[in-house]
Amino acid sequence: MGDSPASYIYMVQHLIEKCLIFHMTKEECIEALSKHANIKSVITVTVWNELEKENREFFEAYAKSHNKNRAIEAKAEVEAEVEASTMIQKLLLDHDHTKKSDRE
Amino acid sequence: MEGFGIGGGGGGGGGDDFPDFMGENLLDSIDFDDLFVGINDGDILPDLEMDTEILAEFSVSSGDESDVNNYSSSNNTFITTAIKNVERKEEIEKTGSFSASDVGSGLTTSLNQGEEIVSTQKSEESTLQVNQNIITPKESDKGKKSSKNNNLPGKRKVKVDWTPELHRRFVQAVEQLGVDKAVPSRILEIMGIDCLTRHNIASHLQKYRSHRKHLLAREAEAASWSHRRQLYGGAPAVGGGGGKREMNPWPAPTIGFPPPPLPPPMAPPMPHHFRPLHVWGHPSVDQSYMHIWPKHLAPSPSLQHPSPAWAPPPHLHPSPPSDPSFWHPHHQRVQNSLTPGTPYFPAPIAPTRYPAVHHPVPGIPPVSSHGMYKVDHSNIGVRSTATPPAQSLPKPPCDFHPSKESIDAAIGDVLSKPWLPLPLGLKPPAVDSVLGELQRQGVPKIPPTCA
Repeated sequence: MGDSPASYIYMVQHLIEKCLIFHMTKEECIEALSKHANIKSVITVTVWNELEKENREFFEAYAKSHNKNRAIEAKAEVEAEVEASTMIQKLLLDHDHTKKSDRE
Repeated sequence: MEGFGIGGGGGGGGGDDFPDFMGENLLDSIDFDDLFVGINDGDILPDLEMDTEILAEFSVSSGDESDVNNYSSSNNTFITTAIKNVERKEEIEKTGSFSASDVGSGLTTSLNQGEEIVSTQKSEESTLQVNQNIITPKESDKGKKSSKNNNLPGKRKVKVDWTPELHRRFVQAVEQLGVDKAVPSRILEIMGIDCLTRHNIASHLQKYRSHRKHLLAREAEAASWSHRRQLYGGAPAVGGGGGKREMNPWPAPTIGFPPPPLPPPMAPPMPHHFRPLHVWGHPSVDQSYMHIWPKHLAPSPSLQHPSPAWAPPPHLHPSPPSDPSFWHPHHQRVQNSLTPGTPYFPAPIAPTRYPAVHHPVPGIPPVSSHGMYKVDHSNIGVRSTATPPAQSLPKPPCDFHPSKESIDAAIGDVLSKPWLPLPLGLKPPAVDSVLGELQRQGVPKIPPTCA
């Protein structure tokens, strides 16, 4: 790893970029770096912020796409919920029917 | 240096290996001039590092080549040894008086096996034959296992045949010491083979080091190239790391070292403004190279180096932005949200939570998960309606919630190979700005001394 501040910052940037590729949020990134690379969160935050300053457009687009993804996620989530509850209802109905037919 | 007890060393005293030798009596009757009819006299081999003692020892008597004729030319052992001696000089034609004497020494040493001393009448015939024999079977002997055991241990500069076994021990010794610290004398000690001299080791070490440099250079280049392909091409570039194993091994020493000069190993094309920062990576690069090379040497010369722990994880594919694995969150969210009230879902979903991240073509496992889903609830058939819409949605840039393993792998990759180019190549912040901000936050210096 880097022995000089510059190289250390470089490394943190590299790590952040890897997280960005994974489309992680800032918080997720901080957590990952802290957990896997022992980078203090304050350092990650600072470097992230500085990177954002230097690459505003990128980060804006990143945030936008992230929001979009979140929307898709949420939508999918709702869909799944609906599906699931529908499924359960159906199962319950089937079960009831079976019981009824048994009794008859 | 012990003498053979012939010329310089005294009757049988110095020649501890030659109890049978008659001493000067034989020598006097030998006409040495005829011995070297076919051999160019005169210039000593330029690359010869002869112990002057040996030379002197042989020069004392009327013929330094005293012992050459003392055996039958048909004796292959002698010839073999002689050939080895001469081979070491690399140019048989240039065998001057020295090499002849060296031949003699080698041949003589073989005599201690108890060979009979052929009468000197044969000397002249055998002389010519010896010369020819020395010259011709040279090639055939090249591949032979070292018969250095026939020679006096360590006392003469014998031609060393670097067999794979011998080379393996050499490499072991070198590794033990550390390549840069490996000193011939220490290597010799560790190898514990009597018949090797420091000189043999030294020259072999030199060749070995230069060969390794070529290997490392090629490895680094291929590694950086394959990494770049991984990142930017999105194609599984596993071959980059794995393919290296087909590289040429440490070639047989007698052939020489073929690798042509390689381009400088470093400098994957990074954004120009990163170059200054790039320099610091070199020390760790070397370190990493240390780890890399055993992989190459291991397969062929039958070395048993354990592979280094790290290798470019082939599965590390931060999914390229165009990756259509968006529906992942679909599953994962389902798990999260439905867990409380849906006993069915966690089971099918959990195992497939992060499948895509490990595959170069993440589209595939999702499909299988979908299938699973369908199978479990096929009677309901609800799922099928959900599937098509999910797949027809616009693709998000990449997959969400990467698995811990892939994150860990990605981070580990960065930590272990700091010289790799930035995957996104964002414009780096000003170092001063970052440091200033950190100071304000109360972080006096980085890297922090106490993590």
